[in-house]
Amino acid sequence: MTTLVDDRLSETFAALANPVRRSILAHLAEGEATVNELARPFDMTLPAISRHIRVLERAGLVTQGRRAQYRPCTLDAEPLRDVASWAEQYRPIWEGRFDRMEEYLRTLDDNQKDEP
Amino acid sequence: MTNDNGSNDAVVIERTLDAPVNRVWEMWTRPEHFRAWYGPMGASIPSADMDVRVGGKRLVAMEMQTPNGSMQMWFTGEYLTVDPTSLLVYTESMSDETGRVVPPTEMGMPDGHPEVTEVVVELTPDGDGTKMVLTHRGVPADSPGATGWNIALDKLITHLADTAGR
Repeated sequence: MTTLVDDRLSETFAALANPVRRSILAHLAEGEATVNELARPFDMTLPAISRHIRVLERAGLVTQGRRAQYRPCTLDAEPLRDVASWAEQYRPIWEGRFDRMEEYLRTLDDNQKDEP
Repeated sequence: MTNDNGSNDAVVIERTLDAPVNRVWEMWTRPEHFRAWYGPMGASIPSADMDVRVGGKRLVAMEMQTPNGSMQMWFTGEYLTVDPTSLLVYTESMSDETGRVVPPTEMGMPDGHPEVTEVVVELTPDGDGTKMVLTHRGVPADSPGATGWNIALDKLITHLADTAGR
């Protein structure tokens, strides 16, 4: 478990810890959308929605096109996969432990064989 | 991976060990054996108090060498099921040396890390050896808000995984 992964997870969770941003992500899961389209379900100003989008962008969850008029937002689900599998971070730790358990069991066996 | 809670926060590992079940049971329930293998790479277990009976407490210290010297982490929990040589269930939380639970975020863990996790060890004889199945999962927090949040997150992730593909 590296600090890098932890930092990225913290950023992902911080971005997800807001219902508006989760709703934006769910919308983008259906396909790309403009800021106007994303703002429609909310009683919020465009700058306010844009601020939420920037948080999602910083967390690497959303990318926004750079074309002047039509700047569609698209979803990048990759950071979410890390969130989905936080428990998976324990897999290599447990695998390592069980390797050592096997080794240890073998040393116990050898010691017993040495006993008269 | 989905468990009974509808949560995908679980890791399941199966191993077949070349030792009888009673011997493998001791690996989990006798401190002198537990300490020999439990430390992750680069860590040791200076102490392990284990009152292995239903409702009994456990307190395990883990010591790691870092560039700034050695660092100790403590883990506490309670035994929920003790069915000798076949099933062991215990909880685990980060704590201080007195066994007082410390929130994972205070320990520098990411926000999504559950405060309480549950470790389930199932042992079955397999010839002269033992089949061991470990399940380590997050226990959803009691607060309805936290549970709702977990469910919402699970739904979102499932939805995104379905639509975004791999």
